[in-house]
Amino acid sequence: MDDLLAHPAVQAAVAPLAVGLAVAALLLPLRLSGLAAAAGFLIAVYLIGNFSFSTLTATRKLVVLATAAPLLGVIADFAFKPTRVAGPVLGVLFGAAALWVFWSVLVQQPFAHGLRLGAGVVALVGLTVAAAVPLQVDAVRAGAAGVGLGVGVGVGAVLGASALIGQYGIALGAASGGFLLLVMMLGRRVRAGASLALTVSVGAALLACAAVLLAQLPWTAAAALALVPLAVRLPLPDRSYLGIQAVIAVFYALVPAAGCLALVWTASGATS
Amino acid sequence: MKKLALLGALVLAAPLAAMAAPETYVIDPIHSYPHFAVDHLGVSTTRGRFDKMSGTFTVDTAAKTGGVELVIESASVSTGDRDKGARKRSRDEHLRGADFFNVAEFPKMSYKSTAVKFNGDVPVEVQGQLTLLGVSKPVTLKIERWVCKDHPFRKKPMCGGDASGSFKRTDFGMKYGVRAIGDVVALFIGFEGYKQ
Repeated sequence: MDDLLAHPAVQAAVAPLAVGLAVAALLLPLRLSGLAAAAGFLIAVYLIGNFSFSTLTATRKLVVLATAAPLLGVIADFAFKPTRVAGPVLGVLFGAAALWVFWSVLVQQPFAHGLRLGAGVVALVGLTVAAAVPLQVDAVRAGAAGVGLGVGVGVGAVLGASALIGQYGIALGAASGGFLLLVMMLGRRVRAGASLALTVSVGAALLACAAVLLAQLPWTAAAALALVPLAVRLPLPDRSYLGIQAVIAVFYALVPAAGCLALVWTASGATS
Repeated sequence: MKKLALLGALVLAAPLAAMAAPETYVIDPIHSYPHFAVDHLGVSTTRGRFDKMSGTFTVDTAAKTGGVELVIESASVSTGDRDKGARKRSRDEHLRGADFFNVAEFPKMSYKSTAVKFNGDVPVEVQGQLTLLGVSKPVTLKIERWVCKDHPFRKKPMCGGDASGSFKRTDFGMKYGVRAIGDVVALFIGFEGYKQ
Protein backbone atom coordinates (compact mmCIF):
# COMPACT_ATOMS: atom_id res chain seq x y z
CA MET A 1 0.00 0.00 0.00
CA ASP A 2 2.88 2.34 0.83
CA ASP A 3 4.43 1.68 -2.56
CA LEU A 4 1.11 2.41 -4.24
CA LEU A 5 0.64 5.69 -2.39
CA ALA A 6 4.21 6.68 -3.18
CA HIS A 7 3.70 6.30 -6.94
CA PRO A 8 3.70 9.76 -8.57
CA ALA A 9 0.69 8.94 -10.73
CA VAL A 10 -1.33 7.93 -7.68
CA GLN A 11 -0.21 11.00 -5.73
CA ALA A 12 -0.89 13.45 -8.53
CA ALA A 13 -3.85 11.97 -10.37
CA VAL A 14 -5.61 8.88 -9.01
CA ALA A 15 -5.90 9.93 -5.37
CA PRO A 16 -6.95 13.55 -6.09
CA LEU A 17 -9.53 12.35 -8.63
CA ALA A 18 -10.98 9.83 -6.19
CA VAL A 19 -10.94 12.25 -3.26
CA GLY A 20 -12.40 15.03 -5.42
CA LEU A 21 -15.26 12.80 -6.52
CA ALA A 22 -15.89 11.53 -2.99
CA VAL A 23 -15.85 14.99 -1.42
CA ALA A 24 -18.07 16.42 -4.13
CA ALA A 25 -20.59 13.64 -3.50
CA LEU A 26 -20.41 13.78 0.28
CA LEU A 27 -20.77 17.56 0.49
CA LEU A 28 -23.52 17.75 -2.13
CA PRO A 29 -26.33 18.07 0.47
CA LEU A 30 -24.46 20.97 2.05
CA ARG A 31 -23.96 22.68 -1.33
CA LEU A 32 -20.22 22.55 -0.80
CA SER A 33 -19.27 20.21 -3.62
CA GLY A 34 -16.94 22.93 -4.86
CA LEU A 35 -14.51 21.98 -2.10
CA ALA A 36 -13.66 18.90 -4.16
CA ALA A 37 -10.79 20.71 -5.86
CA ALA A 38 -9.27 21.81 -2.57
CA ALA A 39 -9.61 18.35 -1.07
CA GLY A 40 -7.93 16.68 -4.03
CA PHE A 41 -5.13 19.23 -4.07
CA LEU A 42 -4.47 18.83 -0.35
CA ILE A 43 -4.45 15.03 -0.52
CA ALA A 44 -1.72 15.32 -3.14
CA VAL A 45 0.28 17.68 -0.91
CA TYR A 46 -0.10 15.21 1.94
CA LEU A 47 0.93 12.16 -0.08
CA ILE A 48 3.92 13.95 -1.59
CA GLY A 49 4.96 14.72 1.97
CA ASN A 50 5.00 18.48 1.99
CA PHE A 51 2.65 19.19 4.87
CA SER A 52 5.38 20.83 6.84
CA PHE A 53 5.48 24.55 7.43
CA SER A 54 8.46 24.89 9.74
CA THR A 55 10.19 26.96 7.10
CA LEU A 56 7.79 28.87 4.92
CA THR A 57 9.34 28.48 1.52
CA ALA A 58 7.56 29.91 -1.51
CA THR A 59 6.12 26.49 -2.33
CA ARG A 60 4.72 26.10 1.18
CA LYS A 61 3.27 29.60 1.17
CA LEU A 62 1.64 28.64 -2.10
CA VAL A 63 -0.08 25.72 -0.36
CA VAL A 64 -1.17 28.03 2.46
CA LEU A 65 -2.73 30.54 0.07
CA ALA A 66 -4.25 27.82 -2.10
CA THR A 67 -5.86 26.47 1.10
CA ALA A 68 -7.11 29.89 2.17
CA ALA A 69 -8.77 30.41 -1.20
CA PRO A 70 -11.53 27.77 -0.81
CA LEU A 71 -12.16 28.87 2.77
CA LEU A 72 -12.71 32.41 1.56
CA GLY A 73 -14.80 30.93 -1.22
CA VAL A 74 -17.09 29.17 1.26
CA ILE A 75 -17.58 32.43 3.15
CA ALA A 76 -18.31 34.22 -0.10
CA ASP A 77 -20.75 31.49 -1.18
CA PHE A 78 -22.86 31.74 1.96
CA ALA A 79 -22.45 35.40 2.81
CA PHE A 80 -22.67 37.10 -0.54
CA LYS A 81 -24.55 36.77 -3.78
CA PRO A 82 -22.40 36.64 -6.90
CA THR A 83 -21.79 40.13 -8.21
CA ARG A 84 -19.94 41.55 -11.19
CA VAL A 85 -17.32 43.17 -9.02
CA ALA A 86 -16.50 39.98 -7.11
CA GLY A 87 -14.07 38.76 -9.77
CA PRO A 88 -11.97 41.93 -10.03
CA VAL A 89 -11.99 42.47 -6.26
CA LEU A 90 -10.88 38.93 -5.50
CA GLY A 91 -8.38 39.16 -8.35
CA VAL A 92 -6.74 42.19 -6.78
CA LEU A 93 -6.80 40.57 -3.34
CA PHE A 94 -5.15 37.34 -4.42
CA GLY A 95 -2.83 39.11 -6.81
CA ALA A 96 -1.46 41.10 -3.89
CA ALA A 97 -1.32 38.01 -1.71
CA ALA A 98 0.73 36.28 -4.40
CA LEU A 99 3.51 38.81 -3.74
CA TRP A 100 3.74 37.43 -0.21
CA VAL A 101 4.13 33.92 -1.62
CA PHE A 102 7.03 34.81 -3.87
CA TRP A 103 8.58 37.65 -1.90
CA SER A 104 11.69 35.65 -0.92
CA VAL A 105 12.41 35.02 -4.60
CA LEU A 106 11.57 38.51 -5.86
CA VAL A 107 13.79 40.34 -3.35
CA GLN A 108 16.82 38.44 -4.59
CA GLN A 109 16.50 39.86 -8.08
CA PRO A 110 17.96 43.16 -9.28
CA PHE A 111 15.39 45.83 -8.42
CA ALA A 112 14.02 46.51 -11.91
CA HIS A 113 13.85 42.81 -12.76
CA GLY A 114 12.20 42.00 -9.45
CA LEU A 115 9.66 44.74 -10.05
CA ARG A 116 8.81 43.32 -13.47
CA LEU A 117 8.53 39.80 -12.10
CA GLY A 118 6.35 41.01 -9.23
CA ALA A 119 4.09 42.88 -11.59
CA GLY A 120 3.83 39.73 -13.70
CA VAL A 121 2.90 37.64 -10.67
CA VAL A 122 0.20 40.10 -9.60
CA ALA A 123 -1.15 40.34 -13.14
CA LEU A 124 -1.25 36.59 -13.79
CA VAL A 125 -2.91 35.71 -10.51
CA GLY A 126 -5.24 38.72 -10.58
CA LEU A 127 -6.43 38.19 -14.15
CA THR A 128 -6.86 34.43 -13.78
CA VAL A 129 -8.90 34.85 -10.61
CA ALA A 130 -10.96 37.71 -12.04
CA ALA A 131 -11.78 35.61 -15.10
CA ALA A 132 -12.58 32.45 -13.13
CA VAL A 133 -14.76 33.82 -10.32
CA PRO A 134 -17.78 34.50 -12.58
CA LEU A 135 -17.75 30.80 -13.51
CA GLN A 136 -18.92 29.96 -9.98
CA VAL A 137 -22.54 29.93 -11.15
CA ASP A 138 -21.87 27.30 -13.82
CA ALA A 139 -20.64 23.98 -12.48
CA VAL A 140 -19.76 22.57 -15.90
CA ARG A 141 -17.67 25.57 -16.96
CA ALA A 142 -16.05 25.92 -13.54
CA GLY A 143 -15.13 22.24 -13.40
CA ALA A 144 -13.81 22.29 -16.95
CA ALA A 145 -11.72 25.38 -16.19
CA GLY A 146 -10.25 23.53 -13.23
CA VAL A 147 -9.32 20.58 -15.44
CA GLY A 148 -7.74 22.82 -18.07
CA LEU A 149 -5.86 24.99 -15.60
CA GLY A 150 -4.62 22.02 -13.62
CA VAL A 151 -3.50 19.93 -16.57
CA GLY A 152 -1.96 22.91 -18.31
CA VAL A 153 0.11 24.10 -15.38
CA GLY A 154 0.88 20.57 -14.24
CA VAL A 155 2.24 19.18 -17.46
CA GLY A 156 3.86 22.51 -18.28
CA ALA A 157 5.71 22.50 -14.98
CA VAL A 158 6.93 18.94 -15.53
CA LEU A 159 8.31 19.98 -18.89
CA GLY A 160 9.75 23.06 -17.23
CA ALA A 161 11.91 21.12 -14.78
CA SER A 162 9.76 20.82 -11.69
CA ALA A 163 8.01 17.57 -11.12
CA LEU A 164 6.80 18.75 -7.70
CA ILE A 165 4.95 21.77 -9.08
CA GLY A 166 3.77 19.56 -11.90
CA GLN A 167 2.27 17.05 -9.49
CA TYR A 168 0.44 19.81 -7.64
CA GLY A 169 -1.00 21.14 -10.89
CA ILE A 170 -2.10 17.76 -12.16
CA ALA A 171 -3.71 17.09 -8.78
CA LEU A 172 -5.73 20.28 -9.11
CA GLY A 173 -6.89 19.20 -12.56
CA ALA A 174 -7.69 15.67 -11.43
CA ALA A 175 -9.68 16.88 -8.42
CA SER A 176 -11.65 19.24 -10.66
CA GLY A 177 -12.23 16.25 -12.90
CA GLY A 178 -13.68 14.43 -9.90
CA PHE A 179 -16.12 17.27 -9.37
CA LEU A 180 -17.02 17.27 -13.05
CA LEU A 181 -17.52 13.48 -12.98
CA LEU A 182 -20.14 13.91 -10.26
CA VAL A 183 -21.95 16.48 -12.38
CA MET A 184 -21.89 14.09 -15.34
CA MET A 185 -23.03 11.13 -13.22
CA LEU A 186 -25.92 13.06 -11.67
CA GLY A 187 -26.89 14.58 -14.98
CA ARG A 188 -27.75 17.83 -13.27
CA ARG A 189 -25.86 20.95 -12.34
CA VAL A 190 -24.55 21.16 -8.81
CA ARG A 191 -23.26 24.24 -7.10
CA ALA A 192 -19.66 25.01 -7.93
CA GLY A 193 -19.49 28.25 -6.02
CA ALA A 194 -16.60 30.54 -5.32
CA SER A 195 -15.03 27.69 -3.33
CA LEU A 196 -14.31 25.84 -6.58
CA ALA A 197 -13.63 28.86 -8.75
CA LEU A 198 -11.14 30.37 -6.31
CA THR A 199 -9.38 27.10 -5.58
CA VAL A 200 -8.68 26.28 -9.21
CA SER A 201 -7.80 29.82 -10.30
CA VAL A 202 -5.67 30.79 -7.32
CA GLY A 203 -4.01 27.40 -7.16
CA ALA A 204 -3.21 27.15 -10.86
CA ALA A 205 -2.06 30.76 -11.19
CA LEU A 206 0.24 30.45 -8.20
CA LEU A 207 1.64 27.19 -9.53
CA ALA A 208 2.26 28.83 -12.90
CA CYS A 209 4.11 31.68 -11.20
CA ALA A 210 6.13 29.17 -9.20
CA ALA A 211 7.01 27.27 -12.35
CA VAL A 212 8.21 30.51 -13.97
CA LEU A 213 10.21 31.73 -10.98
CA LEU A 214 11.54 28.45 -9.58
CA ALA A 215 11.67 26.22 -12.64
CA GLN A 216 11.89 26.96 -16.34
CA LEU A 217 8.34 27.59 -17.45
CA PRO A 218 8.40 30.47 -19.96
CA TRP A 219 6.27 33.41 -18.89
CA THR A 220 4.43 33.25 -22.23
CA ALA A 221 3.26 29.74 -21.40
CA ALA A 222 2.05 30.91 -17.99
CA ALA A 223 0.17 33.77 -19.61
CA ALA A 224 -1.57 31.33 -21.97
CA LEU A 225 -3.11 29.60 -18.97
CA ALA A 226 -4.96 32.78 -18.04
CA LEU A 227 -7.04 32.23 -21.18
CA VAL A 228 -8.55 28.99 -19.85
CA PRO A 229 -11.34 30.64 -17.79
CA LEU A 230 -12.20 32.72 -20.86
CA ALA A 231 -12.14 29.77 -23.25
CA VAL A 232 -14.73 27.79 -21.27
CA ARG A 233 -17.23 30.64 -21.81
CA LEU A 234 -17.57 29.61 -25.44
CA PRO A 235 -21.08 28.37 -26.33
CA LEU A 236 -22.19 24.95 -25.08
CA PRO A 237 -25.15 22.95 -26.45
CA ASP A 238 -27.41 23.79 -23.51
CA ARG A 239 -30.06 21.24 -24.47
CA SER A 240 -27.64 18.36 -24.71
CA TYR A 241 -26.94 15.82 -22.01
CA LEU A 242 -24.79 17.39 -19.33
CA GLY A 243 -22.02 14.92 -19.91
CA ILE A 244 -21.64 16.09 -23.49
CA GLN A 245 -21.56 19.70 -22.37
CA ALA A 246 -18.85 18.81 -19.86
CA VAL A 247 -16.74 17.09 -22.52
CA ILE A 248 -17.03 20.07 -24.84
CA ALA A 249 -16.23 22.49 -22.03
CA VAL A 250 -13.15 20.48 -21.12
CA PHE A 251 -12.10 20.55 -24.77
CA TYR A 252 -12.44 24.33 -24.77
CA ALA A 253 -10.34 24.51 -21.60
CA LEU A 254 -7.63 22.23 -22.98
CA VAL A 255 -7.05 24.40 -26.06
CA PRO A 256 -5.21 27.21 -24.23
CA ALA A 257 -3.66 24.56 -21.98
CA ALA A 258 -2.29 22.89 -25.09
CA GLY A 259 -1.04 26.27 -26.23
CA CYS A 260 0.82 26.59 -22.94
CA LEU A 261 2.42 23.18 -23.44
CA ALA A 262 3.36 23.98 -27.01
CA LEU A 263 5.11 27.14 -25.84
CA VAL A 264 7.01 25.19 -23.17
CA TRP A 265 8.00 22.52 -25.67
CA THR A 266 9.14 25.08 -28.20
CA ALA A 267 11.10 27.08 -25.64
CA SER A 268 12.91 24.05 -24.28
CA GLY A 269 13.71 22.86 -27.76
CA ALA A 270 14.92 26.29 -28.82
CA THR A 271 17.45 26.48 -26.00
CA SER A 272 18.86 22.98 -26.48
CA MET B 1 65.27 45.22 39.29
CA LYS B 2 61.51 44.90 39.31
CA LYS B 3 61.33 46.51 35.90
CA LEU B 4 63.95 44.12 34.60
CA ALA B 5 61.99 41.13 35.93
CA LEU B 6 58.80 42.42 34.39
CA LEU B 7 60.53 42.97 31.08
CA GLY B 8 61.96 39.46 31.23
CA ALA B 9 58.56 38.00 31.95
CA LEU B 10 57.06 39.85 29.02
CA VAL B 11 59.84 38.65 26.71
CA LEU B 12 59.30 35.08 27.82
CA ALA B 13 55.53 35.33 27.54
CA ALA B 14 55.50 36.93 24.11
CA PRO B 15 56.01 33.70 22.12
CA LEU B 16 53.32 32.02 24.22
CA ALA B 17 50.93 34.83 23.42
CA ALA B 18 51.72 34.44 19.75
CA MET B 19 51.18 30.65 19.94
CA ALA B 20 47.79 31.10 21.67
CA ALA B 21 46.42 33.39 18.96
CA PRO B 22 43.84 31.81 16.67
CA GLU B 23 44.95 31.58 13.06
CA THR B 24 42.45 32.31 10.36
CA TYR B 25 42.66 30.75 6.94
CA VAL B 26 40.71 31.90 3.91
CA ILE B 27 39.32 29.11 1.77
CA ASP B 28 41.04 28.78 -1.60
CA PRO B 29 38.00 28.47 -3.90
CA ILE B 30 40.03 26.89 -6.69
CA HIS B 31 41.17 23.98 -4.57
CA SER B 32 38.24 23.54 -2.22
CA TYR B 33 35.11 21.72 -3.28
CA PRO B 34 32.28 19.97 -1.46
CA HIS B 35 31.36 16.71 -3.14
CA PHE B 36 28.27 14.67 -2.45
CA ALA B 37 27.06 11.17 -3.17
CA VAL B 38 23.53 9.84 -3.10
CA ASP B 39 21.97 6.50 -3.90
CA HIS B 40 20.07 6.29 -7.18
CA LEU B 41 17.28 3.71 -7.48
CA GLY B 42 19.17 1.39 -5.15
CA VAL B 43 21.34 0.57 -8.15
CA SER B 44 24.23 2.99 -8.24
CA THR B 45 25.62 6.06 -6.54
CA THR B 46 25.28 9.44 -8.16
CA ARG B 47 28.09 11.79 -7.31
CA GLY B 48 28.37 15.50 -7.79
CA ARG B 49 29.93 18.60 -6.41
CA PHE B 50 29.35 22.28 -5.90
CA ASP B 51 31.78 24.31 -7.95
CA LYS B 52 31.76 27.43 -5.77
CA MET B 53 32.59 27.45 -2.11
CA SER B 54 34.00 30.25 -0.01
CA GLY B 55 34.62 30.93 3.64
CA THR B 56 37.15 30.76 6.40
CA PHE B 57 38.37 28.39 9.07
CA THR B 58 40.11 29.26 12.28
CA VAL B 59 42.44 27.13 14.35
CA ASP B 60 43.97 27.76 17.76
CA THR B 61 46.15 24.77 18.54
CA ALA B 62 47.13 26.10 21.96
CA ALA B 63 43.59 26.67 23.14
CA LYS B 64 42.31 23.65 21.18
CA THR B 65 39.55 25.69 19.62
CA GLY B 66 38.54 26.45 16.10
CA GLY B 67 35.77 27.52 13.82
CA VAL B 68 34.51 27.03 10.31
CA GLU B 69 32.24 29.20 8.20
CA LEU B 70 31.50 28.04 4.69
CA VAL B 71 29.17 29.41 2.04
CA ILE B 72 28.28 27.29 -0.98
CA GLU B 73 26.50 28.61 -4.04
CA SER B 74 23.65 26.21 -4.66
CA ALA B 75 23.44 27.03 -8.36
CA SER B 76 26.97 25.71 -8.83
CA VAL B 77 25.76 22.13 -8.37
CA SER B 78 27.20 19.82 -10.98
CA THR B 79 26.72 16.10 -11.53
CA GLY B 80 28.21 16.04 -14.99
CA ASP B 81 24.83 16.08 -16.72
CA ARG B 82 24.37 19.61 -17.97
CA ASP B 83 23.67 18.97 -21.65
CA LYS B 84 20.00 18.04 -21.94
CA GLY B 85 20.34 16.89 -25.55
CA ALA B 86 16.91 15.77 -26.72
CA ARG B 87 15.49 15.83 -23.19
CA LYS B 88 13.53 18.73 -21.81
CA ARG B 89 16.01 19.26 -18.99
CA SER B 90 19.31 17.96 -17.74
CA ARG B 91 19.82 16.54 -14.28
CA ASP B 92 21.77 19.60 -13.20
CA GLU B 93 18.89 21.84 -14.30
CA HIS B 94 16.49 19.67 -12.32
CA LEU B 95 18.73 19.85 -9.25
CA ARG B 96 18.72 23.65 -9.42
CA GLY B 97 14.93 23.72 -9.62
CA ALA B 98 12.19 23.74 -7.01
CA ASP B 99 12.30 19.96 -6.55
CA PHE B 100 15.79 19.98 -5.05
CA PHE B 101 18.04 22.93 -4.30
CA ASN B 102 15.53 25.64 -5.34
CA VAL B 103 18.35 28.04 -6.18
CA ALA B 104 15.99 30.84 -7.20
CA GLU B 105 14.78 31.10 -3.61
CA PHE B 106 17.86 29.80 -1.78
CA PRO B 107 20.94 30.72 -3.80
CA LYS B 108 23.31 29.84 -1.00
CA MET B 109 23.72 27.14 1.62
CA SER B 110 26.04 27.54 4.57
CA TYR B 111 27.83 25.63 7.28
CA LYS B 112 28.83 27.25 10.54
CA SER B 113 30.66 25.38 13.24
CA THR B 114 29.62 25.31 16.86
CA ALA B 115 32.54 23.26 18.19
CA VAL B 116 35.81 21.72 17.01
CA LYS B 117 37.35 18.66 18.62
CA PHE B 118 41.10 18.12 18.67
CA ASN B 119 43.36 15.12 18.98
CA GLY B 120 46.54 16.74 20.18
CA ASP B 121 47.22 19.65 17.87
CA VAL B 122 45.12 18.22 15.08
CA PRO B 123 41.42 19.04 14.65
CA VAL B 124 39.52 15.80 14.06
CA GLU B 125 35.88 16.73 14.17
CA VAL B 126 33.74 19.75 13.48
CA GLN B 127 30.25 20.10 14.86
CA GLY B 128 28.11 22.70 13.25
CA GLN B 129 24.87 23.77 11.62
CA LEU B 130 24.18 23.20 7.97
CA THR B 131 21.63 25.63 6.56
CA LEU B 132 19.98 24.32 3.44
CA LEU B 133 16.68 25.49 1.94
CA GLY B 134 16.25 27.84 4.86
CA VAL B 135 16.45 25.03 7.42
CA SER B 136 19.32 24.70 9.89
CA LYS B 137 20.22 21.29 11.29
CA PRO B 138 23.30 19.94 13.06
CA VAL B 139 25.80 18.14 10.89
CA THR B 140 29.12 16.73 12.10
CA LEU B 141 32.15 16.59 9.84
CA LYS B 142 35.03 14.20 10.49
CA ILE B 143 38.37 15.63 9.47
CA GLU B 144 40.14 12.73 7.88
CA ARG B 145 43.27 14.59 6.87
CA TRP B 146 44.76 17.79 8.24
CA VAL B 147 48.02 19.25 7.00
CA CYS B 148 49.60 22.62 7.64
CA LYS B 149 52.71 23.72 5.76
CA ASP B 150 54.05 26.44 3.54
CA HIS B 151 52.90 26.34 -0.06
CA PRO B 152 55.82 24.76 -1.97
CA PHE B 153 55.89 27.54 -4.57
CA ARG B 154 54.30 30.59 -3.02
CA LYS B 155 55.84 29.93 0.40
CA LYS B 156 52.61 31.13 2.02
CA PRO B 157 51.42 29.28 5.13
CA MET B 158 48.44 27.12 4.37
CA CYS B 159 46.33 24.42 5.95
CA GLY B 160 43.97 21.98 4.38
CA GLY B 161 42.70 18.47 4.27
CA ASP B 162 39.66 16.32 3.76
CA ALA B 163 36.45 16.16 5.74
CA SER B 164 33.41 13.97 5.47
CA GLY B 165 29.93 13.75 6.88
CA SER B 166 26.35 13.01 5.94
CA PHE B 167 22.85 14.28 6.40
CA LYS B 168 19.29 13.37 5.47
CA ARG B 169 17.95 15.68 2.83
CA THR B 170 14.37 15.22 4.05
CA ASP B 171 15.41 16.87 7.33
CA PHE B 172 15.85 20.03 5.30
CA GLY B 173 12.55 19.71 3.44
CA MET B 174 14.05 18.26 0.25
CA LYS B 175 11.54 15.47 -0.05
CA TYR B 176 11.12 15.02 -3.76
CA GLY B 177 11.68 11.52 -5.13
CA VAL B 178 12.93 10.12 -1.86
CA ARG B 179 11.98 6.59 -2.85
CA ALA B 180 14.04 6.71 -6.01
CA ILE B 181 16.84 8.97 -4.86
CA GLY B 182 18.39 8.30 -1.48
CA ASP B 183 17.55 10.33 1.58
CA VAL B 184 21.07 10.11 3.00
CA VAL B 185 23.54 12.43 1.30
CA ALA B 186 27.20 11.70 1.91
CA LEU B 187 29.50 14.73 1.96
CA PHE B 188 33.17 14.86 1.10
CA ILE B 189 34.91 18.19 1.35
CA GLY B 190 38.45 18.74 0.14
CA PHE B 191 39.68 22.10 1.37
CA GLU B 192 42.72 24.34 1.35
CA GLY B 193 43.11 27.72 2.92
CA TYR B 194 45.78 30.37 3.16
CA LYS B 195 46.62 32.10 6.36
CA GLN B 196 45.10 35.53 6.50
